[in-house]
Amino acid sequence: MQYMLLIYEDERIYGPDRESPAARERRAQHIAYSRELGPTRLAGSGLKDSTATTTIRTAAGKQTIHDGPFAESREQLGGYYLIDAPDLDAAIAIAKKVPLAQNGAVEIRPLLVPG
Amino acid sequence: MTGAALDLVFREASGRIVAALASRFHDLDLAEDSFADACARALEAWSHEGPPRDAAAWLYRTAYRSAIDMLRRRRTEQRFAPELQRAAIEEQNMPDEWTPIPDERLRLIFVCCHPAVAPDARAALTLRLVCGLSTREIARAFLLTEPTLAQRLIRAKRKIAEAGVSFEVPGPEAWPERLDAVLSTIEIAYGRAHEDAAGSGPHFNYAAEMLEVTRVLAELLPREAQTAAIAAIVRFAEARRPARVDAHGMMVPLADQDPAAWVESLIVEARGYLERAISLQPRSPRVLQAGIHAAWCARQTLADPPPWSEILALYDQLLTVRDDAIVRLNRAVALAQVRGVDAALAQIASLAYESLADFLPYHAVRADLLCRAARRDEARLAYDAALALVTTSAERLWLERQRAALTE
Repeated sequence: MQYMLLIYEDERIYGPDRESPAARERRAQHIAYSRELGPTRLAGSGLKDSTATTTIRTAAGKQTIHDGPFAESREQLGGYYLIDAPDLDAAIAIAKKVPLAQNGAVEIRPLLVPG
Repeated sequence: MTGAALDLVFREASGRIVAALASRFHDLDLAEDSFADACARALEAWSHEGPPRDAAAWLYRTAYRSAIDMLRRRRTEQRFAPELQRAAIEEQNMPDEWTPIPDERLRLIFVCCHPAVAPDARAALTLRLVCGLSTREIARAFLLTEPTLAQRLIRAKRKIAEAGVSFEVPGPEAWPERLDAVLSTIEIAYGRAHEDAAGSGPHFNYAAEMLEVTRVLAELLPREAQTAAIAAIVRFAEARRPARVDAHGMMVPLADQDPAAWVESLIVEARGYLERAISLQPRSPRVLQAGIHAAWCARQTLADPPPWSEILALYDQLLTVRDDAIVRLNRAVALAQVRGVDAALAQIASLAYESLADFLPYHAVRADLLCRAARRDEARLAYDAALALVTTSAERLWLERQRAALTE
């Protein structure tokens, strides 16, 4: 099965341009983690700061464009992996190793179309 | 054969058959639906000659065939090629007259109690699929309406199917997490049954099912101290059930229960499980808790003094491995008997009140201690707080009597 791993962290710890020491250290960890995953990793990337987000909202069929993310919260979506795993337990084992700050979350979402 | 007798045959066979079908087809709905279909066919087929000698094997074969038919039907409805392939493969494995039903209940328990399943659905799903309880029975046990419970089961089954929960028993590396989810599910489920001291309520059958689930779990995982300990705890507690309520339906506190009324055979079984647990892991919290039950159940007659010192020593040990408010509260009861009421009240005063404000035993224990310390006004308030939370009539009657005795 294919699973999306969505990474949520408080992005303030990395600084707005993602060039803080914390951000560099995390980036190095993600590179090492991706190498370790090998072919299990189908895709993945970090995302720019949530201040760079634009949201198109649709209400009653009418579209409006907004600055900022869809949901405001203390943790923001900051990156993702697309992985191939035999079952949820395998996906959980992989997701547990995603480099993360002291506080944060990784959401595991199965893809609608089985890969 | 009467309808009730047939229901019993179906229920006894259901856990094992649904588990075998679920692990064969990796599909909980398919397993449940095909078993229900087999029962419907059995009602018809057995109406004249009665059930065949091995009714369970008949039900298993029939349900298996029905599952393959259902897979085929899905294919024609949705033009879903993989389903047809699966049906063809499964057909080659079709059980015959001599195939024993594989025991896959452990697998199914691990699926139902997967940490990815909502905690409030795990126990219900286990009781439904592994124990064969009806949605109505489970709804009554959990004090929910039937539609609410049914919704919860549907959501949990959908989650299991769509998230790709594995039907494998997890490897040892995942056990601390996974086994604990299973055991705490059983504790929650049993807690519901145990609250009902009179045993006359909807929980009655359900306590019997907990005896069965814990037996199966201890049998399937014989090297785990935790599974043996939980099997012992459920048996010790169930052994005391006949003495927990008096002739007027009022709760009898443990120290006032007549040991002669306890069920000796369950105590013997419980001791066997406890010995196994102690030999494997003597100092784990659940094993120590089982030891506390054992100390009580060793009492022979009401004339023997209650084993308070031993109980306190066991709680002291338990505190070193599991220090939380509930353990401290229970320890305070023994502390009051051994070192006096004031020591116990001081212990309780140090607990964080906010986390215990809605916890009935906290108010009940505190009320009793205040009463014995002759702090009547405070005791009365504590009884009021307890009475506001009580849900069973046996305990309500007891608390009301204690409160009334204060004003005499």
